[in-house]
Amino acid sequence: MKLIRTLLFCTLSISMLAACTQVRPWERGLLAKEEMAWRTNALEGALNDHIFFSKEASSGGSSAAAGGCGCN
Amino acid sequence: MKARPSRSLLAISTTALALPGIAIADAPPVNSSLSYQVSNYKEDDLSREESPFGDLGRYDIDVHQFQFISPLGRNFSLQVDANYEDISGASPWFTTIGPSGSPIVSLSGASGIEDSRGELSVGTRYYLENGSIGGNIGYSEENDYRATYGGINAERHFNNDLTTVSVSLSYSSDDIFPTDAEIFNRVISEDKSSTSAVVSISQIINQVSTFQTAFSITEQSGFLTDPYKLIDTRPDNKTQIAWSNSYRRYIRGSDAAWHVNYRFYHDDFGVTSHTADMSWHQNFGNTIQVIPMLRYYNQSAADFFTNVDDFSRPATDFQSSDYRLSAFGAISAGLTVKTTVGDWDATLTGERYLADEKYSAFNVSQPSAALIRYFRVSLGLDFSF
Repeated sequence: MKLIRTLLFCTLSISMLAACTQVRPWERGLLAKEEMAWRTNALEGALNDHIFFSKEASSGGSSAAAGGCGCN
Repeated sequence: MKARPSRSLLAISTTALALPGIAIADAPPVNSSLSYQVSNYKEDDLSREESPFGDLGRYDIDVHQFQFISPLGRNFSLQVDANYEDISGASPWFTTIGPSGSPIVSLSGASGIEDSRGELSVGTRYYLENGSIGGNIGYSEENDYRATYGGINAERHFNNDLTTVSVSLSYSSDDIFPTDAEIFNRVISEDKSSTSAVVSISQIINQVSTFQTAFSITEQSGFLTDPYKLIDTRPDNKTQIAWSNSYRRYIRGSDAAWHVNYRFYHDDFGVTSHTADMSWHQNFGNTIQVIPMLRYYNQSAADFFTNVDDFSRPATDFQSSDYRLSAFGAISAGLTVKTTVGDWDATLTGERYLADEKYSAFNVSQPSAALIRYFRVSLGLDFSF
């Protein structure tokens, strides 16, 4: 229940962000820079995902899972 | 980095391609790109205290990654990923009580493990006026493991393209056929499946900052036990949930970008974890970028984790001495240096990872032997044309 309340609170917080200052398309140049991407290096990100998936109990989050492996 | 209109457009497009990202009118990448990265992953040897008998060497893995991204007609893009891993070393086989009363571990096989893994994935994406839809299929094979997987995803922009909502679904069917099964009384052949769904919302906050939150649920069923452990019995179903949050901020005065990520995770094996990481992407002129990174990970133990295998219990009782199911914390730090020359990018990364029960914020009633420490070094090349 506590988890659901937390998620609801956060979802509400995110939806309120929609009311933030308007940013026009021509004002988004800095946001489009490579270093502002959610994942700046696809191969580096994929390798880290694979290592952490193999060596920690946790996985998932921002991208859908790929195939498993026999890594142990 | 260096101001090149074509690369900026490519960056915008690949951002939209790679993940639910910043809301920008969607279009396929204008250029093709070819990327290669070679890495060495090396785990520290165990100490004689942790493993009094036998070999102490653990995994040493060389990884080769390839990626090709290209526009395909006016509204499509194509992405091909290929990976190859060359694996040698050993992993924990069973645990017992040592002379000092602490758990000790024996590694698998006196001569260690030699294996390789090959993987190929192909994906495409169709770009619409206010979003895009995509899909991918993939295949991974090792000497003792095979995975066939696929996924679809869609994203749509709202609120004057300030908000992006993304949905992803994926499925993987895996086959397990352990080596030397008859010699060591292992299972001959088993299978498992994994189904995942992810929903994310990305929001532009202002001219220099964005935020993303994502919720994922994964259902695994089938053979979830480690067949290489002398004794290991786990439930045949697992539900995992993860809630991720990412923040990006561009610092104008420093010509740098600050990344902060946090993930909460829980599964019905009883594991709860928190992961936080941050990185600083510092530009030096138009050709050099330096990226220091720091990550903290912390997990609780699975309900059935034991740090000493109990051979007196029935084989049907759930138990596992897998260190990955113990309570521990891990700290990792890395440094990446990236240089751009013409249409080429070269990237060098070094990362050190240290896991220890002392780093855990959770109660550690049964500290595990053989928690890993590793060093990774990667060299990547990227060419756009």
